[in-house]
Amino acid sequence: MTDNSENNAQNRREFIRSSSRFALALGIGGLGGLVLNKAKAGEYVWQIDPFECTQCGRCADECVLTPSAVKCFHAFDLCGYCDLCGGYLKPGAIEMNTAAENQLCPTAAIKRNFVEEPFFEYTIDEDLCIGCAKCVEGCSSFGNGSLHLQINQDLCVNCNQCAIARMCPSDAISRVPYDDPYKVKGDFTKSKS
Amino acid sequence: MRSPNHIALIAVGTLFLIALAWWTFSKPKVDVVMSVPGMDNRGDRAGESVENVTIGEFFESFFSPGASLSEIWPRFRGGDYDNIKKTGIPLIDKFEPDNPKIQWSVELGEGHAGPSVYKGLVYVMDYDEKQKADMLRCFTLKDGKEVWRRWYNVNIKRNHGMSRTIPAVTEKYILTIGPRSHVMCLDRETGDYLWGIDVEKEYESQIPFWYTGQCPLIDDGKAIVATGGNALMIAVDCATGEKVWETPNDHGLKMSHASVMPWEFGGRKMYVYSAVGGVVAIAADGKDAGEILWQSLKWGCSVVAPSPVCLPDGKIFLTAGYGAGSMVFQVREKNGSLSIEKLYEYKPKDGLASEQQTPVFYNGLVYGIIPKDGGALRNQFVCVDPGDFRKVIWSSGKTNRFGLGPYMIADGKFWILNDDGMLSIVRPSKTKFVLLDQIRVFDARDAWAPLAVADGYLILRDDHRMICMDIQRPS
Repeated sequence: MTDNSENNAQNRREFIRSSSRFALALGIGGLGGLVLNKAKAGEYVWQIDPFECTQCGRCADECVLTPSAVKCFHAFDLCGYCDLCGGYLKPGAIEMNTAAENQLCPTAAIKRNFVEEPFFEYTIDEDLCIGCAKCVEGCSSFGNGSLHLQINQDLCVNCNQCAIARMCPSDAISRVPYDDPYKVKGDFTKSKS
Repeated sequence: MRSPNHIALIAVGTLFLIALAWWTFSKPKVDVVMSVPGMDNRGDRAGESVENVTIGEFFESFFSPGASLSEIWPRFRGGDYDNIKKTGIPLIDKFEPDNPKIQWSVELGEGHAGPSVYKGLVYVMDYDEKQKADMLRCFTLKDGKEVWRRWYNVNIKRNHGMSRTIPAVTEKYILTIGPRSHVMCLDRETGDYLWGIDVEKEYESQIPFWYTGQCPLIDDGKAIVATGGNALMIAVDCATGEKVWETPNDHGLKMSHASVMPWEFGGRKMYVYSAVGGVVAIAADGKDAGEILWQSLKWGCSVVAPSPVCLPDGKIFLTAGYGAGSMVFQVREKNGSLSIEKLYEYKPKDGLASEQQTPVFYNGLVYGIIPKDGGALRNQFVCVDPGDFRKVIWSSGKTNRFGLGPYMIADGKFWILNDDGMLSIVRPSKTKFVLLDQIRVFDARDAWAPLAVADGYLILRDDHRMICMDIQRPS
């Protein structure tokens, strides 16, 4: 009996100690989470304004990552789905097809898919894209400007001093709120106008 | 017996050879994909059938117009093919503030077809998507009331606009080309159908990207059309519809968006055409009418919209967009025969170039708007010396940029429409850009159609609306 009473008393103490530890850990964890969440909400990340970008090509070379965290994005609502796509084909390409010699992209990152005569859909293979902006320049010069550069936030390491922002000749790269990290054309175009 | 050094040397050499063989014959990566034609799954286009179209099948008349006006702007680039209106009612130098004096406005189907004007009537090509009808519509110039329309059914998909061409109008005839190159000839006064040709079907021609942009030509009672298929160019008697001549297309030149430009040089009259694949001149008259007088295949762009600018000294200025730039040729006459020589070529950032509109030669200088890929001068209105088209005499500056819209000279002034609907009057100075006035006529989208002026009225359009402005100078 005595042994049982002592055991019960020990179990109660142990239970109270464990509960206190758990409550403390929960409190500290919750507080940390709240602090972290508040910190994230106030954070900023780097992003490109596609309307300021002059397609100089430095994003491909200056980013600390290889390949660059800058990728080509496609605003499908702006695209003309042209057979003769200024972003896909080299200027002066005689044949409008997928042969390597006709493609403007140095890494064949743009995929051209037939929809129906005479329309084609163009999609970007992000794994191949190096952010060189050759396609963006072609699309801006001869098309609707649906191809544009953005910093992929899944890849970006968010340097304190962004290397491409420092080198950008048109000051197109700036900090934007963490919870609104992209300036994608299309919907963004509407808000601009 | 070999020394240890020899054995080591042989071993190293053997290893090197093995490594070299491996490096040569092994695939550098297992997932390399060859970029070859056909990866877009387009398939073979050879089996595509051409739709059966009954050209000019339907007609509807709304009313008979009364007293007519007198002036004409009868075709693409006007009566003299130079985009200059030399005579007529004096026009304003300045707009009334915030008052573009819009006379009338009509809704049109999506397109970039400009109008022609003949004695108080406006003729414009239009495509009705609901009716699937390619139509020629006739309006009164003064109040924009529709007089009649003639149309035929043809299936056209939206592709950056559908109607793109300007009718050619003479006292007797109206000649049109639709988006899929259906040529239609009508009686001007009644709108009666005379004859038609399905160029795509009859000549197996390839319709250019974004549909036909070539504006037809009536010259000496003949319809002149660059077919670019089994025949390079044809002449058709407007009265009978009989073929007068067909030019063989030995080099397989294709139809472009450029229009045929009549030109006289070295005692010969010819039709100059900037095709996809080359530039060519075809005899307009004489025993050899319809035969090639000269040609050059050095001009090889995939998309050509501006028409050739032919100068009195025998120079031919050709330009095209999408990165192509410009090329200048010299035509020479010797012992009655003509020859052509390429002088030089350059990219858009190095001199005058154009993507859509044809530059204007006026008082010894050439004027135009540099395209978007033209470097620092992009979208600027420039004046160049035709002695060297790379020498820019002046430009409109960074604060005066224009788009792909049209420009022409009327009453000694340039009328320049930006593609967003801003209209400018510019004095064609030889020394500097002189902006007389600017006004926003309407909030336009893709206002690319060539302008037309007659009887003091300026007609302009964007991709959905045609607008008539009163620009007469008050007496």
